[in-house]
Amino acid sequence: MTNAPKTPPPEDPIREHTYDGIQEYDKRLPNWWLFTLYATIVFWIGYWFYYETSGIGPRDTAVLAAELERIEAAKLAAAADLLDDGTLWQMSRNSVFVQAGRATFNSTCASCHKESLRGAEDGGIGASLVDGTWVHGGRPTEIFAVVDKGVLEKGMPAWGPIIGAKKTAEVVAYILSHHEEAK
Amino acid sequence: MMFAGIYYSTQRLVKARLASDFLSALHFWGWQAIIVAAAITLPLGFSRSKEYAELIWPINIAVAFIWVVFAVNFFWTLARRREPSLYVAIWFYIATIVTVAMLYIVNHLSIPTSLLHSYPVFGGVQDALVQWWYGHNAVAFFLTTPILGIMYYFLPKAAERPVYSYRLSVIHFWSLVFIYIWAGPHHLLNTSLPDWLQTLGMTFSLMLWAPSWGGMLNGLLTLRGAWHKLRTDPVLKFFAAAVTFYGMATFEGPLLSIKSVNGLAHYTDWIIGHVHAGALGWNGFMAAGMIYWLLPKLWNKPLYSQSLANLHFWTGLVGILLYVAAMWVSGITQGLMLNATTEGGTVLAYPNFLDTLNAIRPMMLMRVIGGGLYLVGWLVLAYNLWRTIRGAQTVNGSIEVYAEKPAAADTRLGFAGSVFNAPVLLSVFLTGFATLWMLGENLVSVAGLVGALLTVVAGYALLYSRGKVWQGWYERLLLNALPFTVLTFVAVAAGGLIQIVPTVMVQKAANMEDRVQVPYTPLELAGRDLYVREGCYTCHSQMIRTMVPDVLRYGDYSRLGESIYDYPFQWGSRRAGPDLARVGGKYPDVWHLRHMEDPRSISVGSNMPSYPWLSERNLDVASLPAKINVQRTLGVPYGPLTPQQIFDQVNEQAKGIAKNLRDAGAYVAPEKEIIALIAYLQKLGQFEPVTPAAAN
Repeated sequence: MTNAPKTPPPEDPIREHTYDGIQEYDKRLPNWWLFTLYATIVFWIGYWFYYETSGIGPRDTAVLAAELERIEAAKLAAAADLLDDGTLWQMSRNSVFVQAGRATFNSTCASCHKESLRGAEDGGIGASLVDGTWVHGGRPTEIFAVVDKGVLEKGMPAWGPIIGAKKTAEVVAYILSHHEEAK
Repeated sequence: MMFAGIYYSTQRLVKARLASDFLSALHFWGWQAIIVAAAITLPLGFSRSKEYAELIWPINIAVAFIWVVFAVNFFWTLARRREPSLYVAIWFYIATIVTVAMLYIVNHLSIPTSLLHSYPVFGGVQDALVQWWYGHNAVAFFLTTPILGIMYYFLPKAAERPVYSYRLSVIHFWSLVFIYIWAGPHHLLNTSLPDWLQTLGMTFSLMLWAPSWGGMLNGLLTLRGAWHKLRTDPVLKFFAAAVTFYGMATFEGPLLSIKSVNGLAHYTDWIIGHVHAGALGWNGFMAAGMIYWLLPKLWNKPLYSQSLANLHFWTGLVGILLYVAAMWVSGITQGLMLNATTEGGTVLAYPNFLDTLNAIRPMMLMRVIGGGLYLVGWLVLAYNLWRTIRGAQTVNGSIEVYAEKPAAADTRLGFAGSVFNAPVLLSVFLTGFATLWMLGENLVSVAGLVGALLTVVAGYALLYSRGKVWQGWYERLLLNALPFTVLTFVAVAAGGLIQIVPTVMVQKAANMEDRVQVPYTPLELAGRDLYVREGCYTCHSQMIRTMVPDVLRYGDYSRLGESIYDYPFQWGSRRAGPDLARVGGKYPDVWHLRHMEDPRSISVGSNMPSYPWLSERNLDVASLPAKINVQRTLGVPYGPLTPQQIFDQVNEQAKGIAKNLRDAGAYVAPEKEIIALIAYLQKLGQFEPVTPAAAN
């Protein structure tokens, strides 16, 4: 650390003209600064050529379409081993499944169906899920379909695409855990 | 701060007193009146909804008028200058005045529907493009170039050192004002903005990095030989920190403009952290340094307390760092959570939007603490200022200046002398050829590339053979304020013209992609104006980006045609709530009613405010005919409608919604505002497919 102000080295001429006492050097531009400027210009040319002029670079929408296709394929593969009523009942007696379903239900479904599952009876917007009446069918696979695909005209959104097949099954298991399997 | 700095330094740099005290006073009081008007109208919900351009049209006219007063006062002073040559600070002031005027006027072109309300003349993608051409460059030419000019005066003054490099000033001034204008579309990356504009916005933002850092270098390197003064002089502390923040923010800007980084950061707090590094660090600290430097000079009395100034510096610095760091963490956290997928990338890891908001709550507390510290610093300044000037008289004297002999005739550069010379022509050719290369097809593109290359080679050769002549020409240009101003205007106008004119001129059909939105019914239009009035756009975007997480969360990506009748556009720029582009039909009407009355009754943990007055106030139907007339003028396909037909349509649709609500057990009269808002929200995302042939 130096205390005395450095005098400028002799090779740095100060410009003749001063403005309100402000003097100016006229030093060379730092090389790294120039390199940065040139590098960004070269990048612009290359990037533009790759994406716009030549069309080698894929469009955003094309990348997105390919990615969505891949997701759909993965989901179809997962749906191959279709759930049946028996499996869903079995899940509803599995506490791991039911606990996971409760968490999803309370964060996603309870806004309309209420944490009590009593829905409209409890001041909610959605139907009650514990009163024993099933507007859209009471078989486990039917309930699964309602959660998965929704009933848009009744205001029930399709949750399958948003929470995924696993969470949908868990939620159905949680709902079923409030019911008895009819023999 | 900016006006004071410009007025103070300009008088001294051109050795002339301000041209008109009347204009100065008009400027000051006019500006204060505008601030008061803004503080009254915005909270009342009078807003155009465009960022940094929210004020309603009568105030817009006042702003433009006062800006012209400022310009006249400034250029009149220049005309009476006794210092023939223009210092670099003056270049930046000139760029500020002409560019802000251009940006402000274009982005505020509107057609009034009443004394307090108007619709912008641009809609959908055009409005988005014009808005961000303006919005980005408002930052550039209102918050950057004038402050750079102020830096070029006050920093060497305070440091008592020569400016580091004149030629760096020349290069970074011209490259900055030219390139800045092109970068606006980086606010719209990954949206439905046409690809070529996104690519332009991103690449020019990257090219802006070096010119911005040129200013930082000239500031910091001017301090060479004066660094030891930082220990004792709070003024230099503020300046050095401010220029460092400028460097940080102008590195972060290009970084955020990279499309993949932007996919993470856009719509999050990271952007807010970025602007605050600039606003609090660069602008705020330059202002503080300038005030501490000016006070003793203006009142001819030493500063009341250096220690308090130092205290201001350190509380302010800690405040900014806490604030910005909190915003970084918050933005990156929310961005990562929103974009995270699970189960092999097929579903969202955090499907509940609220999870991402609740995760950043601690950061909001940090933000308050940081901002609070920063504010405390300014209160310390206010106290220091008051103690300094209490009982003191302002300096009211005149300075004798040595006036050089008036510019001789041979230093005059006429139109021909300013334009027809190598540097200007080469720049024009290069810009022209590069544009042809980028936007032309096939042969035109190749010709543009060849032309650009030849221009570069010719320019390089000429620079080496005739560099001295160019230097002489530039020095002569500095003696000619008007040609200098004209060239600056040309440089800043180029980027805007090349981006905006094609988009505005192009047939609407070409801006649609494969969909066109269904025009709003009168009731839905009224609901949309409520959406604007209540400021919903500040937290909710209406733009599903071309990114997998956006599509998984909100539905199919937004097409240009789906906002083509939106005057103003509502794409949004921050998601403190979920995107609403396709919210229509997702929930029943009663869901929206309950959610507006008390969001937490529907979404536990939501931070959305309640809007109970929407269920109490009656909708303003009377203004609809005037609004629909303006919309029709702007090109929205409303058939000929008498006011009575409009009222009938409103009644019919409102009754339908009220009936839906009644069926669900909620009783709301059809005249209430909430009905219109529900109608609007349920309309969002409705479109009709178009085939290119039909569109033409």
